Amino acid sequence: MIDHYDWPGGREAMLRFGPATGPVVIAAMPLFEEANRTRAFMVSILRALAERGIASVLPDLPGTGESLIETEDAILTDWTTAFSSLTDMLSAERSAVHGLALRGGALVDVTARLATRWQFAPASGDMLVRDLLRTRLAGGEKSPAGEAFEFSGPPVELAGNRIGRALLAQLQAAEPAARPPLRVVRLDSDPLPADRKLAGSPLWRRSEPGNDPALAALLADDIAGWIAPCAG
Amino acid sequence: MLPDDIAEIDATVRGVLRDVLGLSEERVAAFRSETPLFGALPELDSMAVAGMLTELEERLGILIEDDEVDGEMLESFGALVRFAATKANQ
Repeated sequence: MIDHYDWPGGREAMLRFGPATGPVVIAAMPLFEEANRTRAFMVSILRALAERGIASVLPDLPGTGESLIETEDAILTDWTTAFSSLTDMLSAERSAVHGLALRGGALVDVTARLATRWQFAPASGDMLVRDLLRTRLAGGEKSPAGEAFEFSGPPVELAGNRIGRALLAQLQAAEPAARPPLRVVRLDSDPLPADRKLAGSPLWRRSEPGNDPALAALLADDIAGWIAPCAG
Repeated sequence: MLPDDIAEIDATVRGVLRDVLGLSEERVAAFRSETPLFGALPELDSMAVAGMLTELEERLGILIEDDEVDGEMLESFGALVRFAATKANQ
């Protein structure tokens, strides 16, 4: 169901899944091009959660999706503020509000008053910015070797998005939310520490958007098991 | 470097090519040292090169500077494995 939420900078759209009562999970999408590549996968996870009786919402962030704010005008604090506002709104109507973040989504829910956090393949801001800047090379725009990227100035086009340099500067210093209770799941190809590792391929890297319903079901089981003790 | 390490890096590079380019297990298993990559694999466009390098960095715990990326390291599967092995050994 399409719905909306308000935050101090405006109003954004969100999709609701699952039952109208009980705990709710707020999903934080990966950032930029990775979001396009994983949207179908995220929706599969949220539908699988709904089948397990767990409600969720998938919000647009300021400057993404249907937002009236231009992508290039968005800054990271817009995203964290919007996410916190949505969390507070849902806390007033639900028994508990839990966070679910994929990749760079883990940088967005840092200030939200969530009961618990569950992250899949969380990525640090500097790795994401590094990857974005590298696409500039691949795009044939020659950046002379050794020349540092300038974090002030006009928006820059990276992998098909016009992005504000202030946002890139904020992202570069951002780390995934680490506040407990926190559960981290990663792919088994990822050497970083995690509470659980699962086989699968990184859909956020694939130029052709794909899906993995079997992995989505496994993740939904993991999330359901994680939030059950705190479901209230 | 021990042969075991080389074998592990070889397997990691194959896994990255499979996952980033969406190639089948059979196809990457058939890669030999002289198998040409950039220019020969239509899936390996310049955007995919960027994703592949980042994924290699994450899986091998290495950092690849932009000025280290040249046509030579992407010429063949063997060249890419040698590049990754050199970086991992630093």
